[in-house]
Amino acid sequence: MAMPPVDHILIVDDDPDIIDLVRRFFEKNGLKVSAATDGKGLWAVLHHGTVDLIVLDLMLPDEDGLVLCRTLRASSSVPIIILSSRGEEVDRIIGLEMGADDYLPKPFHPRELLARVRSVLRRTRPHPSSDLPGKGEEDVVYHFAGWTLDAPTRQLYSPQSEKVFLSGSEFALLRIFLDCPNQVLSREQLLDYSYNKEGETYDRTIDMQVSRLRKRLREDPKTPELIKTVRGLGYVLSARVEKSGAHP
Amino acid sequence: MSDEVNTARLVVQVDRDLAGIVPTYLENRRKDVVLITDMLERGEFDAARVLGHRMKGSGAGYGFADISSIGARMEQAARETSQAELAACVAELTAYLDRLDIVYA
Repeated sequence: MAMPPVDHILIVDDDPDIIDLVRRFFEKNGLKVSAATDGKGLWAVLHHGTVDLIVLDLMLPDEDGLVLCRTLRASSSVPIIILSSRGEEVDRIIGLEMGADDYLPKPFHPRELLARVRSVLRRTRPHPSSDLPGKGEEDVVYHFAGWTLDAPTRQLYSPQSEKVFLSGSEFALLRIFLDCPNQVLSREQLLDYSYNKEGETYDRTIDMQVSRLRKRLREDPKTPELIKTVRGLGYVLSARVEKSGAHP
Repeated sequence: MSDEVNTARLVVQVDRDLAGIVPTYLENRRKDVVLITDMLERGEFDAARVLGHRMKGSGAGYGFADISSIGARMEQAARETSQAELAACVAELTAYLDRLDIVYA
């Protein structure tokens, strides 16, 4: 019987004690761990293989973690959890704006980090047997307002056929909207669907992710046309959505 | 006010999954005491700030919230180039390490 694949986590932190802590705890809990102490090391690990998730410190000796996060997100949908002792609200918001999937301030308990890693991995992966909207439609391709979302490859194409990278969370959120077009979805519904009630569930996270998704869809933040805010109720995707089964 | 040093043992419960790495972590803090003492003598506040910052970020994760707290104060003292406060933090860290009894649970 084939063993299930082991999730491969990359921890990027300049403090060897933090790397030891995360490595020990994660390996004891069945994860594979690679480590880098700076941005250069991060790129070296990614150059030699793939990882399932990156735990990224913000204060690195050679590069700012936020810049790294943005650079990663421009070319990859690998989930990112920011881990930093900067820890202020503004850093958390900027981190999420830069494309991180979650943020945990230092000092942290490794069990909490492990729970968040598992939560992010769950919500950023396809859910073939879940009760999400779009159940059983893993091969579907969505067409809306000139845009195309290819679910199997998680690739978003602009009306000009340009590739637009989405983080795992952004993909999950967009898919929920596309499965429920022209329906007002409350923040609670969006949290239920995208986080399966296992992530850190606070409304501001959804607001920030909607804001990021609007940017991906090149919406004017003041007058968004596609994902509209319904005051007091939530959000609605205002577009005709067509689905097809074939890869474009 | 008493100047007596508190020598009572301090029992700290630590996650048993960390048993293999905690001794090294505490040994590293003892090395930090030596390093920061040297940095103090040389006035290397920025290097001391980095060590305090790291202690702040790692201590509680290993189960030692007091190390995080002392590290935070060290970082602040180094940022303010306060030799006296930094020396007080080093003394506090030394005393803390000397009093530690660890229980893995």
